[in-house]
Formats: sequence, structure tokens, C-alpha cells
Amino acid sequence: MTEREFHPQVKQLLDGELTLADLPAELRDEGEEALRLLAAVDREPVSVPSVTWRVMARLERKRQRRLAWLLAPALAAAAALLVWLGRPASPVASAPGSMVTVRFVLVAPGAHQVSVAGTFNGWDPAATPLVRSGSGDMWVATLVLPSGQHQYAFVVDRARWIPDPTAPAVDDGFGRRNSVLTL
Amino acid sequence: MHADTQGPSDGEIVRAVLAGDRDRYALLVERYRDRYARYASRMLGSTDAADDAVQDAFVRAYDQLAQCQDPAKFVGWFFLILRNRCFAEQRKRRPHLSLEAAARVPAGQRSDDGAESAERRRALQQALMELTAEQREVFVLKHVEGLSYTEIAERLNTSVPSLKMRMHRAYDRLREQLRDHA
Repeated sequence: MTEREFHPQVKQLLDGELTLADLPAELRDEGEEALRLLAAVDREPVSVPSVTWRVMARLERKRQRRLAWLLAPALAAAAALLVWLGRPASPVASAPGSMVTVRFVLVAPGAHQVSVAGTFNGWDPAATPLVRSGSGDMWVATLVLPSGQHQYAFVVDRARWIPDPTAPAVDDGFGRRNSVLTL
Repeated sequence: MHADTQGPSDGEIVRAVLAGDRDRYALLVERYRDRYARYASRMLGSTDAADDAVQDAFVRAYDQLAQCQDPAKFVGWFFLILRNRCFAEQRKRRPHLSLEAAARVPAGQRSDDGAESAERRRALQQALMELTAEQREVFVLKHVEGLSYTEIAERLNTSVPSLKMRMHRAYDRLREQLRDHA
């Protein structure tokens, strides 16, 4: 053991198998040094909220690529049928408990970018982009939201705020309509 | 790093996803992303790198979900995928320590503990990045995630004595690094 190695009993202290009081007097200073080391451990939580929608968006893109290869002719026909239909943001999988998986869907011909902003993401238009579904005009995003009532709107090309065409809406008090989703 | 008991169980979600209800997978991501992001951020020295690693691991886990032999143990299986991703990342690059560890200390805590405490955290994180990935991992699982040696051994499919040997080397190297730093 060199002077730079902790004494075996101090290692037991670090492992939580001994307390400082268990150490002989000559090891107390070394024990305190070891405990200072542990006190510096950063146990702060890490939050990566955007991971959920980014994972689901990647899975959606992969699925679309696979479908495009397998079902290109059928998809083309389906896209043509959907062009003028706004589909409501509807829960697609109600989970027991307080969280519900929701898929937001908007058909937006000509859009380059679509996101959803609402009470669940601080009305941040950059927080939750929708992903283009295949090569068509349908945009989708899957989120996990707590049960309860949420208000939201779609943001097209970062500029146009539009309510969900088929969901109920309320006046936001500033002349804009917010869609309402109750889970 | 324990299973969330609210809502459907991991096993129920995995079975639902495998049966075609793929949107349910978001529940698993939501449930585990933050706690495993902490593991990854301490392993990789950066929250950004951890964010990417956790994303990749969840996508890979989804692709291989049919190979999850015991759906109830999804999280242990997922952890091994994330672990492989973190180790692969380490092999690819010399880890660059960010100063995030100090920067992330909340302001309120800074006023209590002072800049010295933040500096000690930063120095320890820097020293952790000088360990081997295996040594760092056992330190992170025990002292950041709060797992016992027995729990770590089960998770990594190894023995407690070998983990202790790894950890005790880590203690010595950390001491050396921190003394050099001081």
C-alpha cells in the first residue's frame, strides 16, 4: 500500500461498512478525507424531457421508411384521401393511472415545419415538433401526458398558430382559439 | 433505478407494444429516461452525450424488443443496452470533460455550500473521467445511483468481490487524482 492508497479500513468506510467512529484514531484524518470525497459526489437529478418525443419521432420515421418500401402504392392512395382532413389530437392508448399516450396528427399541405404548443410544454413552439409522416402532408407526434384537461394549438412554419380543426376549442382571451384535449 | 409502480407494469407495456400498440412505448421512455440519463451523464461526462446515448438505447431496445425474454425485466435489459452504448462511446473518443457538473449546481445550493463545494464536485467529476469505464461505472452505480454491491452484481452479472476490487482501485485512483488537483 502506498501513501496514495486508502487504508483497507477506510475503503470499508467508503463502502458504508464502517463508520468514522469505528476507525482507529490514527486513521480518522484519512477517514475524513474519504468522506469529503463522497460528499463531493454529484447526485443531482438529470432531466431530458425531449427524449420521449425524439425517440418516438425516430421510431415513426423508421416505420415510415419501412412502410414506404413495402407499401408505396397503397400509401400514395391513402395520402390522397387524407389531404383535406384535419384529424383530431386523440388519445390512442389510454393507460391505467395518470399518464396517457396521445398522438397529435395534423394534415398541413405545403407546410415545412409543424409543432404543437400547449399547456403541457409551456406553450413553447420549439419544444414539440411533429414529424412528417412519409412524404405526404400528414404530421404526427406522440406524447405522454398526465390525465386532465390540456389546451394546445398547432404551429405551422413557426408563424401560423392554428387550432386543431376537429377538436373543441375555447377563446384564449387574446383573440385566439385554443383546442382542448381532455384525457 | 427502481421500477415505477404507478400505471401499467413494464411487462404489460412491453407485451402491448409487441402486440402492435407501439405508442405505448412512450410510457416506458417517459418512465426511465431521466434516471438512466443521470447514469449516462456521469459515465460520459456530459448531459448532451447522455441525451444522445439514452435516445439511441431506447430506439435500439424498441428494435430488439422481441428479444427481451422477460418483459417484466425490461429495465434491466434496457440498462445493458444503454451500458453498451456508453462503453462504445468511450471507446470512440477520449472523454472531454465538460464543466456542466459545476454549472448544474443550483444557485440556491451554491449560496449554501459556496463555490468551494461546486469546485469539489467539478474536481471529482473530472477525476471520475480519468478512471477506466469499468471503475467509473461501479462508482456511479454505488455512489450516485445508490445501489448495493449485490444489486450491482445482479445487474452486471458479476460477483461482489470483483466489484469491490474494481471499486477499491477506483478509490485509490480518485484519491491520487484529487491530491494532484489540490
